[in-house]
Amino acid sequence: MTETLAGGQPADHGELAKRVRFHPFVDGPTRKLVRSWIEREPAHPVPWAPLTKPLSACRVALVSSAGIARHDQPPFDQERERRDPWWSDQSWRPIPLGTTEADAGIYHLHIDPRFGAQDLDCVLPLRRLQELSADGVVGGAAATHYSFMGYILQPRQLLASTAPAITARMAAEAVDVALLVPV
Amino acid sequence: MIPEFTASVGAPRVAGIEFPFGRPLGLPGDRAGQRAVLTAALEVISRARTPGTVIQLPFTWPQSPRDARADPPVPPPIVQLIKRKPWLAVKLLARDIPDPRQPTAN
Repeated sequence: MTETLAGGQPADHGELAKRVRFHPFVDGPTRKLVRSWIEREPAHPVPWAPLTKPLSACRVALVSSAGIARHDQPPFDQERERRDPWWSDQSWRPIPLGTTEADAGIYHLHIDPRFGAQDLDCVLPLRRLQELSADGVVGGAAATHYSFMGYILQPRQLLASTAPAITARMAAEAVDVALLVPV
Repeated sequence: MIPEFTASVGAPRVAGIEFPFGRPLGLPGDRAGQRAVLTAALEVISRARTPGTVIQLPFTWPQSPRDARADPPVPPPIVQLIKRKPWLAVKLLARDIPDPRQPTAN
């Protein structure tokens, strides 16, 4: 990825929180929770890596927070989260291009996993990305894509070790664009 | 999806979409729809010119919120805990997260 050249001003969190008034598919308690967290989120300088070439020349990697692990990888630790609901597994899994719903499970405990289990492209659109690559819309699909668990309440490990490990692997594979896909 | 939340943590470019949780690209088997969403999300990367840009994608979910509702097979552990101990909701709202306990020995 391109080196970060400039940082933006932090967003006004009070204004962002007010905008979470109505989302048709988000229930009232979740909206209340999210507003409260936005208001408490410390201001961050926004990192910025300018896109220096057209998408049609960029190698793209996808990152999903669905907690996807292949059957030949260790599963995410749902049992410990069940024992301690404040805890989250903050590890990550590399997901090779070509992985399908037949090869992997979805471990996020806060969503209905049936859609992604039926069609992995609902949460990690690897086949759609390959199609865009074949049609020249993007320059290429990276060999490796990534997943970690969503709903991490205290993301210390995610920031300190998981994110740097993922970005290092992306850099080693000459990835130009990372698209994070929340669930 | 809640783009305001994503923007608040400092994401450089955010594509918002009014789709239900668990299927951000669209319905299972809807190849054309998934492709359109992925293409539009990638275009945000080239369209955004300033850090923190949020662009709302122009897609409409084909079901009503009632019909689209899909919960996890069992309520998430934190939801079960708050049901048992409602006073802990204050800590969750305040993001006052207890330090993790040591793993329970088997």
